[in-house]
Amino acid sequence: MSYELKIALRFLIKGKSQTIFILFGIALGVAVQIFLGNLITSLQVSLIDRTIGNSPQIVVTRQDDDISLMLNASPIDTIRGNYPSLVRNLENWQPAAETIAATKDVTVVSPALQGTAIIRSSGKTVPVQVKGIQLDKGDLIYNITKRLTSGNPVLEGNTIFIGTSLAKDLGIAVNSGLNLLLPNGSTAHMIVGGIFDLQNESSNSSLVIMDLARAQKLYGTASGITALEIQVKDPFAADAISASLLKTVPGVSIKNWKEQNGQLLIALTSQSSSSYTIQLFVIIAVTFGIASVLAVSVVQKSKQIGILKAMGATKKSAARIFIYEGFILGLLGAIAGSGLGVLLLAGFGSANTTFALTVDPKSVLLIVFISVAAGTISALIPARNSSELNPMEAINNG
Amino acid sequence: MDNILLQGTGLIKDYGTVQKTRALFGIDIILKRGEFASLIGPSGCGKSTLLSILGTLDKPTEGQLFFNGLEINKMTEDELALFRNKSIGFVFQAHHLLPEFTALENVLIPSWIESGKADVKKKERAIELLNTVGLGERMNNPANNLSGGQQQRVSIARALINEPDLILADEPTGNLDSEATEQAYALLRDINKMMGTAFLIVTHDRHIAEKSDRVIEMLDGKIQKDYQTASKEKEALWNELAPKNCKYCYGSKI
Repeated sequence: MSYELKIALRFLIKGKSQTIFILFGIALGVAVQIFLGNLITSLQVSLIDRTIGNSPQIVVTRQDDDISLMLNASPIDTIRGNYPSLVRNLENWQPAAETIAATKDVTVVSPALQGTAIIRSSGKTVPVQVKGIQLDKGDLIYNITKRLTSGNPVLEGNTIFIGTSLAKDLGIAVNSGLNLLLPNGSTAHMIVGGIFDLQNESSNSSLVIMDLARAQKLYGTASGITALEIQVKDPFAADAISASLLKTVPGVSIKNWKEQNGQLLIALTSQSSSSYTIQLFVIIAVTFGIASVLAVSVVQKSKQIGILKAMGATKKSAARIFIYEGFILGLLGAIAGSGLGVLLLAGFGSANTTFALTVDPKSVLLIVFISVAAGTISALIPARNSSELNPMEAINNG
Repeated sequence: MDNILLQGTGLIKDYGTVQKTRALFGIDIILKRGEFASLIGPSGCGKSTLLSILGTLDKPTEGQLFFNGLEINKMTEDELALFRNKSIGFVFQAHHLLPEFTALENVLIPSWIESGKADVKKKERAIELLNTVGLGERMNNPANNLSGGQQQRVSIARALINEPDLILADEPTGNLDSEATEQAYALLRDINKMMGTAFLIVTHDRHIAEKSDRVIEMLDGKIQKDYQTASKEKEALWNELAPKNCKYCYGSKI
């Protein structure tokens, strides 16, 4: 061990109350940072996940307007006759889908056909939204198979999935049959293959999921679809990716979640910035706390420093003692503070069930690192005072 | 010439930048190896200033300083620190141990500074020195747990750990009672004889000055007298060490 470190440690140990007070201060600052940082991050992760986690982040649709409206009106006429361009666009979605799938950072491309219908079952009539998907792809977005409360994760032929609330309303279970009344007046008999819980009341009570091919047949769109649903690696890059898609896939409308969730984004951004502001001021307060304690310590220990210099300690050594003190205070305070912060998070997490509170070890490490750096930096001025100390004056005035 | 340990020529020290106050007026001084010298004079005559310049704790405004033939003025601060660590031991009036450390650790500190590591390579020597100063049994006592006389003896052991050529002592007995003074003097003298370490002792104590090999008397920033004690009769010497220079004129404090 270098002698400067030994002296620094001894100064800290012998300055008990002073050391404990400042350590407590640093630990508290670090704990607040860790608690606040992870709380905000967890909250945002949960918010984002809720908003866009199990839904497409980019949706490619026909350029001019609302398809389900059109399907509601008179699907056969609409698709076959009045809107030939639409049919052509959507019928040729496969090359577009391939282009999109090959785009960087796009993780899922899932074709979907959406329409409305009415369920008639045991005397009840319930309007529903029908969504035709290719289960293997759609599942990557909606995560339905994992969220089936009963039934088999197979979607083919006449099989449909319905939500828990709808099943309850209708009083039906898996393998029951029901009749689907379509906008064109025809009726299709379907079998409930699975019941899902998407943790969203409107989906659970009015969404009917079926195989895409079946939906295309029911709605008579041939191979046409209403949308390509896309998920990307980083949800926050959705706007940039959709902008680049506009160039590679012309003639369609591309919307991303950010456009439709402006309020949420503003909320997230201001949440983050207020969290960063608080953390910044906490770290400044901690730095000044360490600096002032060390500055006082240099004055208190000036006699000792003077003697050390008379005995041959160099200016560098005299400075190093206080740099070490700052480093040690920062490190010990950060370790104690991390423990306290994680404890606080655990306590808060067990009391709070509205969202999952996760501790990001990287953020804890970062805060520990910042705290150690702050401790060391805050020691710079006291260390300079120590190195500039005139030994003769220090000894005579001590 | 080989016998010369330290040589200062034309040492001038001014304090202040605008209103200059001259503390030393061209001091010429030579200290020989193994010499035991007292530096006396009334308060404010420049004794301590001269001592800090000779000990390289302060720089002279003008003049040259040689130690073992090395020109001290030309050294950088770090070189000076190294030089102090190896060649000079300090004993101060107020003992000045580091209260955070034990007696043994205090003695070891100059050796730590020398090696850069808080090691115990010189532990045996430190214990030997503490035994020499009669504190072997108290080596693990915290420094601030020792009496004034004991602390002073620890600081003498500390000054000796790196085997310096010269020990500069600024009123080493100033805070001690007459018995402790006598002990401290005897100790310094023993070390001087045993190890051949040169001593320059600033003192107000006539008894210590009387027993030195040489007395250097300062007045108003100049050396007034410089003589070997052996050259004078005992009574003449006692009178020479005039009351104006020494507080302990009649064996007790005035």
